[in-house]
Amino acid sequence: MEKEQKDEGYFDKTQTLKDAGMIEFSVPCHRPSSSEQRKEEEPHELLVPDLCSLPLTPPTAVDCNFTCYFAPDFMKPDHDQYVYRHPNGLCVIGLASTHVALKGNRVKTVDFNVGKSNRSEIKVSGKRKRNAQRFEPNTALCKVSTSNGDTSYIVRCCVKGSLLEVNERLIKQADLLNSSADREGYIAIIMPTPTDWIKAKNQLLSLEEFKKLRGLC
Amino acid sequence: MAISNEKEEVISCSKVGVIVEAKEAQISTGPSEGEAADKIISDTVLSLPSHAILDLLSIGVCTRCIFRLFGVRGQIYWSSLLSPTIFAPLIQKSNGSDDEHSKGLESEFCSICLGILQFGFSKEKQNLVKSELINNVSEEIAKFIKQEGHEIDSFSLEVSIPPIILANERSVWLYLKKKYGSERWFEEKFHAEHVTVKDAFKLAITSSLETLLTAKSEISSSSRIRLNHTHSKASLNLEKESVENADGANVKRGAECSEQSNGKTDAAIQRSLSRLQDHAFCERFKSPPEKVNEPCKLEIICNRAPIYIGGRYLKYSRNVSQSRWLIDDERKGEASVEEIIGSNILPVCRGDNYKFHAAGREDIDVRMLGSGRPFLVEIQNARHVPSEVSIGEMEEKINNLREKLVRVRNLQVLGSEGWTLMREGETEKQKQYAALVWISRPLEDEDLQTIASLMDMSILQKTPVRVLHRRSPLDREKIIHWMKIERMVGSQQYFLLHLCTEAGTYIKEFVHGDLGRTYPNLGSILKCRAEILQLDVTDVKMDCFN
Repeated sequence: MEKEQKDEGYFDKTQTLKDAGMIEFSVPCHRPSSSEQRKEEEPHELLVPDLCSLPLTPPTAVDCNFTCYFAPDFMKPDHDQYVYRHPNGLCVIGLASTHVALKGNRVKTVDFNVGKSNRSEIKVSGKRKRNAQRFEPNTALCKVSTSNGDTSYIVRCCVKGSLLEVNERLIKQADLLNSSADREGYIAIIMPTPTDWIKAKNQLLSLEEFKKLRGLC
Repeated sequence: MAISNEKEEVISCSKVGVIVEAKEAQISTGPSEGEAADKIISDTVLSLPSHAILDLLSIGVCTRCIFRLFGVRGQIYWSSLLSPTIFAPLIQKSNGSDDEHSKGLESEFCSICLGILQFGFSKEKQNLVKSELINNVSEEIAKFIKQEGHEIDSFSLEVSIPPIILANERSVWLYLKKKYGSERWFEEKFHAEHVTVKDAFKLAITSSLETLLTAKSEISSSSRIRLNHTHSKASLNLEKESVENADGANVKRGAECSEQSNGKTDAAIQRSLSRLQDHAFCERFKSPPEKVNEPCKLEIICNRAPIYIGGRYLKYSRNVSQSRWLIDDERKGEASVEEIIGSNILPVCRGDNYKFHAAGREDIDVRMLGSGRPFLVEIQNARHVPSEVSIGEMEEKINNLREKLVRVRNLQVLGSEGWTLMREGETEKQKQYAALVWISRPLEDEDLQTIASLMDMSILQKTPVRVLHRRSPLDREKIIHWMKIERMVGSQQYFLLHLCTEAGTYIKEFVHGDLGRTYPNLGSILKCRAEILQLDVTDVKMDCFN
């Protein structure tokens, strides 16, 4: 029997309520009163929340579960990337909506065969993440090519850490980058050490700062 | 049969190692039996070689140790009449001068058993108890059991003795061998397997302990009474010996030895003793052993094997975790199911501690409703095994706590089979949930049909990002058995999704898709964005504690 809250990994301590992946709303709690004769069946209204307490549009799972950071002009102008940091320490890397590759272009291919190895062929295994490669912030993750001529763009790690996985769906469905670069079109998941994260974080912009920089407000 | 008055029978009986069980000759109960006991004792005494007995008495060996060494078995050890004076007939028989021998009879504790079989002992901050009364020890034990509040109907005795006793025994044996080794009785009787101090002690006290505790002595009893005898000075000396002459492994063991020698070090010392040749043994130990003026220290420990209290729990709060959850000494959530249930059960059972086990778990912000989730509370060293009535009261108490965070159902006392029940049920577990879902477009009637039509759908879940830091990265195939959408009055985009899935499915990820890492997901099926706002477990289908 595994316990959700117990663990050996060093990221353990950073696990918070947010790790549960849910938004906290003040839904009135229907607790049965003690005087009430308890039936085997739960009263159905216990399951139905009060609509008034629900937001018209709830925040997305990404908003709830991650803190969003940005690396504008990473290595090259208009190469804007995002880093979603989960409270457990993992970082999801992807292309910000302002990335030059997404500006009026159709993404044609995503090629993970860059540098010394094909990033999609590294098979990380086990709790200890055997075979995970430690990459530098400027290590290339993949090459994104667009239909606009033969232009291609290198996507990089942005943070130093172990590469846990790349989004293999992009190999066959490169257009996920056009439809949903911020969710299903993510590029990779990296696990930095706590110290490396602190260093990396100083180089990144917060969502607010990024919006201001790009005039997205 | 009891101890026979025929010499030969005593010998043969001890040789085959029969421990007498028949109760025909109850010793030391009524006055008439008392006489019978006297007879048995005097017969036994007369069957022994008088000059050797006198020698043993003079080197400070106690009556029961003498009987032990000669392989005498059975109920004779229960008798409280075994003072050295029973050997008076022998003394007369040998025509020796009374004065000379009786000197050795009184005063010290037995030079072999250090007074254990004379039922002398000392306790911390207490005067030493010296007597020949078995009841002294058993009353002390009974008093302790009562003080600790143990309610037992059976017990098993465990006795530990200082290892030096083994050396003493050997030293006496060598002493006798040197002196009487050529005599016929030595060959005949002394080679017969003798009774160990532990066994003699158990034989002696069990019966009176059964009476005092009104409990049966059973080898497999869940209540263990452990009697630790320690004799600090003597055992330390011995440890030094074994360290000096043993190999590397034993040196290490010797270093670990504390004053309270435990079973492991006992065994180590026994091993190193048995490795010693007779002559080497004589070089290191005095033969006969030195007389003893201080009895053993007696430590009594009573421990009951864990009892299990099982049932199902319900959790009504989204801020209560299943187990106690501390991060850097900071509590997560306002309480835990573990603590709410455990802290209400433990005082009733009066145990030392408890452990909480459950068949799976839910996140802190997920309520556990409906049937509830099977759990077991393991109570360590329970003094009291709750009756059905008091189990009912416990359930009542937990369910009527001021803050209704947790409820329990079908609480029951279980033996260790509770484990098996829970483990077996867990394998074929299905779970039912109700999720509050929002989608990025208005819900259509068609969607309800689409969802309802999906039966036993396979999905592939990559280890969710939220647990990927501590779980293996894997593609996990799970089955969604069925789903049903329940519309919510007054909303186009919010609805309740009821679903039944294979155990181990990550529901939140199935709804929001986890960056497309769970596929298909609710969003991909409905071709829109789906978000989950709340989740409740509504049923854990298991054949246990229903």
